[in-house]
Amino acid sequence: MSAGAQSLRARVDAPAARRLTRLRRIDRIGLLITIGTLALAILWAFPLYWAIITTFKHEYETVKPGLRLWPEEFTFENYAQVLTHTKIGIWYINSLITSTAVTVLVIIMAAGAGYAISQLEFPGRRFFWWMILASFMVPIPALIVTHYIVLSQLKLINTLAGVVGPQLIAPVTVIIYKQFFDSVPKDFREAAVIDGANDWQLLFRIYLPMNWGITTALAIITFIGAWNLFLWPFLAVSSEDKMNITVGITQVHDAFGVHYARDLAVAMLAALPVAVVYLLFQRRVTQAIMLSAGIKG
Amino acid sequence: MGARESASVTSMLRSRRAERLTAAALMAPFALVYGVLFVYPTLKMVELAFTNAPLIGPGAWVGFDNFRRLATDRLFSTAFWNTLYFVVLTVAPSTLLGLIVALGVNRLKGWLQSVVLAAFFLPYILPVSCVFHMWNWMFDKDFGVAQYILAPLNGGQHVSVFRTTPYFLPAVAFITIWWLLGFNVLLFIAGLRNISRDLYEAAELDGASRWTQFRRITWPLIWPVTVLVFTIQLILQFKIFDQVYLFANFIVRYDPSMVMVEYIFKEAFQQNKGGLAAAAAVILFALIMIISVLQYQLLRARGQK
Amino acid sequence: MSAADAPAAAPHVELRRVSKRYGAVTVIADLSLAVEKGSFTALLGPSGCGKSTLLRMIAGLEEITAGQCFIGGVDVTETPPAKRRVSMVFQSYALYPHMTVRENIAFSLSIAGASRKVQNARALEVAHILQLEALLDRRPAELSGGQRQRVAIGRALVREPEVFLFDEPLSNLDAKLRVQMRVELAKLHASLKTTMIYVTHDQIEAMTLADRIVVLDRGNIAQVGSPLGLYNHPANKFVAAFIGSPGMNFFEVKLDRVEAGVAQVAAPGGGATRARLRAGAAEGPLELGVRPEHLSILPIERADAPLKGKIAIVEHLGNATLVHVDTPAGLLVVEAKGDLAAAQGAQVALALDETQTHLFGADGAAL
Repeated sequence: MSAGAQSLRARVDAPAARRLTRLRRIDRIGLLITIGTLALAILWAFPLYWAIITTFKHEYETVKPGLRLWPEEFTFENYAQVLTHTKIGIWYINSLITSTAVTVLVIIMAAGAGYAISQLEFPGRRFFWWMILASFMVPIPALIVTHYIVLSQLKLINTLAGVVGPQLIAPVTVIIYKQFFDSVPKDFREAAVIDGANDWQLLFRIYLPMNWGITTALAIITFIGAWNLFLWPFLAVSSEDKMNITVGITQVHDAFGVHYARDLAVAMLAALPVAVVYLLFQRRVTQAIMLSAGIKG
Repeated sequence: MGARESASVTSMLRSRRAERLTAAALMAPFALVYGVLFVYPTLKMVELAFTNAPLIGPGAWVGFDNFRRLATDRLFSTAFWNTLYFVVLTVAPSTLLGLIVALGVNRLKGWLQSVVLAAFFLPYILPVSCVFHMWNWMFDKDFGVAQYILAPLNGGQHVSVFRTTPYFLPAVAFITIWWLLGFNVLLFIAGLRNISRDLYEAAELDGASRWTQFRRITWPLIWPVTVLVFTIQLILQFKIFDQVYLFANFIVRYDPSMVMVEYIFKEAFQQNKGGLAAAAAVILFALIMIISVLQYQLLRARGQK
Repeated sequence: MSAADAPAAAPHVELRRVSKRYGAVTVIADLSLAVEKGSFTALLGPSGCGKSTLLRMIAGLEEITAGQCFIGGVDVTETPPAKRRVSMVFQSYALYPHMTVRENIAFSLSIAGASRKVQNARALEVAHILQLEALLDRRPAELSGGQRQRVAIGRALVREPEVFLFDEPLSNLDAKLRVQMRVELAKLHASLKTTMIYVTHDQIEAMTLADRIVVLDRGNIAQVGSPLGLYNHPANKFVAAFIGSPGMNFFEVKLDRVEAGVAQVAAPGGGATRARLRAGAAEGPLELGVRPEHLSILPIERADAPLKGKIAIVEHLGNATLVHVDTPAGLLVVEAKGDLAAAQGAQVALALDETQTHLFGADGAAL
């Protein structure tokens, strides 16, 4: 190779070589980031793992010093105890009833109201929409006092219906439905109107079916939210028979003294249904979360 | 308006009526629920704030008395400052951490990404009482696993985290961040995915380092999401109650760690002072509104510059 | 409208003095239109001329602010769309994405409460006419543009309407498909013989499909007539310019004198020519319009040619040649034979067919 060609090559190669080493360095940093993320994920998952694993240990093992990541002796006795000695069955049923009721009622009301506000002209339409946006701003925990007053006037304190009541205020759900109905192109409506459809047929045969995914996502997230609710069910209910599970599991420990494994077992049982729902419907849940956050933004 | 025009107006009216009936049917249940459970309670709350009513039952009008009392009540100011403290401990750190984690998770692909995302997000699905039991166990003074880390820092002695006042709120804040981080990570990932890969590739060709890429591309473009997450967390943590109440339940005097919703709860349901509690609720409501609107505007404006 | 203007048979669809106002803005003012039974009428015009609004008023999707609409002699001004016995094919097809082709076609029947058997039977019938049998169980997302178009037509067909309304149905298709579907629509009309009203901005579609064209200009009817009638006898400059591709050439002329219905005019650059004058009289600034195919290229030596100029661009289409000539009257387009030898930059003379010229006055009306 001629001298000129050689020097040219050197001039071309040098920056390329520098870039190559930089790439290699970047990859090293990239690897570090990935490892760091994985490590953090493991740390994040640890508390849950630790709790679950403790529930499978005998009570005496939990208080033995030393870190055991796996039970010396695997046992189901804690769960057995919880299932037989607490009211967990009733709490499950209560939670199931109230969560399902909240989900069904919220979806029906929100879809109906969302459709009406989106597609129909009627007096007060703007007012309702304003009210929904406003209810967003008011923090529900601030309303616990007056909610209690209202529900006690209605004689609904300490009833499942009373637990359901305030949970029916779900502005985000209405807003999401309205936005989705708004986004349906007008052509579909007009074509259906020419074909003779009235508003009920429009809602149930066009608008809702075109948005089934939304309904599923909202229903799941409403259910999970209702299942996990603590403050209001805690206030509204005083007898153990009427508690939902999230409240119930906080009432367990003082009765029998301190039993770590058993307390954790009951806590895990409380979380199990919603965890399963999440793992089964991961995509829907994340979709619903992003939708509701989009609203707030 | 001639005869022909009024004819079409009547046709408009006729179809309008059908529309209005349908709308009424669809809105009625919603309107009822909202009226009874939102409008009335909100108005009543404001009204209550100006009375000395107990929890149930009427009371006399006392004007701004309740507010004056709150201004001088030591417990209320404790709750107020605790709430602010808690907000500072949780909102910014969880937002930032959410972004960092999202950056890391976004680099992963396929099933590994799903698993890692689930690891961060699953806590968010757990009910608060479950979280309470889990961490109560982790931090347990005698047998909790956290003592392996805490004891050496405390000169070999086990730490009773929740009974030690200065540690209480930070610990609860830490747990809250653990609980809620997944939510932030999710939103940030959605935002990061919206940034076109082309921008990064162009920057890499231009020789930009990773940090420069973050500073000049990622940070500005993810700003709206950052503001969103920050705002949501801010509003959320102001209303904090569940976990603070649960963790404080063991302490005989839990007053020093009280937060605002707890105050409302205590005054209304334990001290039976409905009017006073309502006044505190009004203050909380106003606070949340003002701060979130202000902060949102400020951050948005900064982003637009 | 006097009795002399009314068509011989009662019109199938009639708009009487309709106006459309949105608040303070008047889009259509005092417009009357009659469509004969079994005809294929095109509403043609540029965007914003109100053609879609008119169609939607006939369909019942827009309120008629003033005036009346009649279908089959019945006043339907206040009747809801579903009861007007009209069907509409939308520009976007509006096929319900969550239903199969069969369900889409049969939708109106299921709304009316027809039994499953009837729905399937009718859907099959319609699918047969449009060659959609193989696609009955597919979803719209799985279909091509042309197939979706046919499903939309099928959905309109199944109701056996009195009037078919088309709102720019071919504009979402690519050029080749458009030509194909045009033929299919023409065949459909020939076999069904149902009244069809067709909105388009494409004058080629209107010319090839319609037997009557209504040209609209900003909410007013510029002219109504048969395709050839509009082509050869435009009533005003708007219609003359809109119809025909390549468009008519226009240039200013000065009036010398009028002799027995013929105007002697002077073209820019001095050349004299004659033009038909139907109105009998003419005054003020005049414009002469002549279509490219009525201009011819002559050697520059012809002294009596009305126009002379230099060839700017030559476009060879194969079946014709378009020659753009720079003249004192402006850039004129000449349509000549396909094998014309024309060189860019050559000086040429232009002759025009004086029987095919049109004169337009200051207000645009034909004279």
